[in-house]
Amino acid sequence: MWNWQGQPLTGLHILAMLIGGVIILLMTLGVVTYTILWQRKIIGWMQGRIGPNRVGPLGLLQTTADVLKLLIKEDVVPAMADRPLFLIAPIIAFVPAFMTLAVIPFSAHHVFTANLGIGVLYYLALSAITIHGVMLGGWASNNKYALIGGMRSAAQMLSYEIPLGMSIVGVVLMAGTMNLNDIVTAQAHGWWYIIPQFLGFCIFAVASTAELNRTPFDLPEAESELVAGYHVEYTGFRFAFFMLTEYVYLFAMAGLCATLFFGGWSGPFLPGWLWYAIKVFLFITIQFWIQATMPRMRVDQLMTFSWKVLMPLALANLVITAVLKALVG
Amino acid sequence: MFGFLKGLGVTLSQLPRKKVTLQYPDVMPEWPERFRGVHRFIPELCISCQQCARICPTSCISLSGARDQNKKMRIDTFDINFEICILCDLCTEVCPTEAVLMSDTFEMAKYTRDDLYLDMHWLYENELRYEKNHPERFAAAAEAVEAAAKAADEAAPKKAGDA
Repeated sequence: MWNWQGQPLTGLHILAMLIGGVIILLMTLGVVTYTILWQRKIIGWMQGRIGPNRVGPLGLLQTTADVLKLLIKEDVVPAMADRPLFLIAPIIAFVPAFMTLAVIPFSAHHVFTANLGIGVLYYLALSAITIHGVMLGGWASNNKYALIGGMRSAAQMLSYEIPLGMSIVGVVLMAGTMNLNDIVTAQAHGWWYIIPQFLGFCIFAVASTAELNRTPFDLPEAESELVAGYHVEYTGFRFAFFMLTEYVYLFAMAGLCATLFFGGWSGPFLPGWLWYAIKVFLFITIQFWIQATMPRMRVDQLMTFSWKVLMPLALANLVITAVLKALVG
Repeated sequence: MFGFLKGLGVTLSQLPRKKVTLQYPDVMPEWPERFRGVHRFIPELCISCQQCARICPTSCISLSGARDQNKKMRIDTFDINFEICILCDLCTEVCPTEAVLMSDTFEMAKYTRDDLYLDMHWLYENELRYEKNHPERFAAAAEAVEAAAKAADEAAPKKAGDA
């Protein structure tokens, strides 16, 4: 029933796809809820605080309460805003972030994965669409701060998309496939690609942090200069959508990182999904750790770093990988 | 690069440290003796001299009194409009008999403004509450009074002997 590639599409298949989509959505919402809680907890611990501990046992319902609060807030649309674009921008931002999860191989067996031949390309292409949502949100607000924030976000996300993509190409060259499932199986019987592709991994780590708009590259949310960047004018549910986008994207990027460099679901003793969860959890935790440590970068340094450091490094990595691959086999 | 790792080490070393957060409604901090909370009021001491009402920068105190059969001033009504009180402590400073004092009550969230008009009875109850919460402060004061009385007793016969 789950293998719908080799057979004609029937109503039952469509139903199965819908159920799969809903399951993934629910799982993602759960992950996002507890990612946000974990972020607040771990940053609190690093700052000598306890973090949220009031709502529910150990504060476990804190995010739920926050979301509930956002849902019952008024949905304000500025009078001079471009109304249709303003309303649709959070959706444009969220949908691709969620769609990228379609290619992430969560586990070896019960997979809701599209098993796409061009999985990596699909991921990169869709994640680029999120930039549209961010920029449209900034532009449609008809607010100068939002506009500048949106433009900055777009510039940053586009600039870092290139080193990110090129660092992935190294892995694709080594595995000889763009299918994320096959990349995992290629690593399962040898080195995880973090060893032979260490430079590529470093570039990926930096570029993905910037792509996720996380500290030290969180310029779109530089509240000291830009109030709050592209989502200044957003309230209630639509603001929640932007937040959701950010954290779904964080989850997806963690999944991509685990898949490309850490052997995805493969690992000894434990079941595949647990290995996968551990790797994703570590990636996300390290992101929060860096967030608790680093100050924000300046915007000109940010661009220079992407174009003058990361891109040449990524190109060099690509060339070295290609040459070694040709020589060694 | 190494500076970056060093910074990460600093934050990581903070992770298991003891947290400084005080779990406020569960654990109360120790308020200092001169904490300026809602007033407490001792009606027996008050001579309704109006000094507190006069010095009050926001005019939130109103009081009235009358002479009793011994021609002493006695307080009849004493009200503080706590909507506008700024807890500046001037009324306490100026009171000649220390009838109006500050307490450490401060959790005064109310649903209506009317509840913030505090009358004499409320303020006296606040005094009783304060005495109950801080017996040691009153014990020290009582001891001092006792010691002073004892010293006076010892001094008195000496004086008589001199004379």
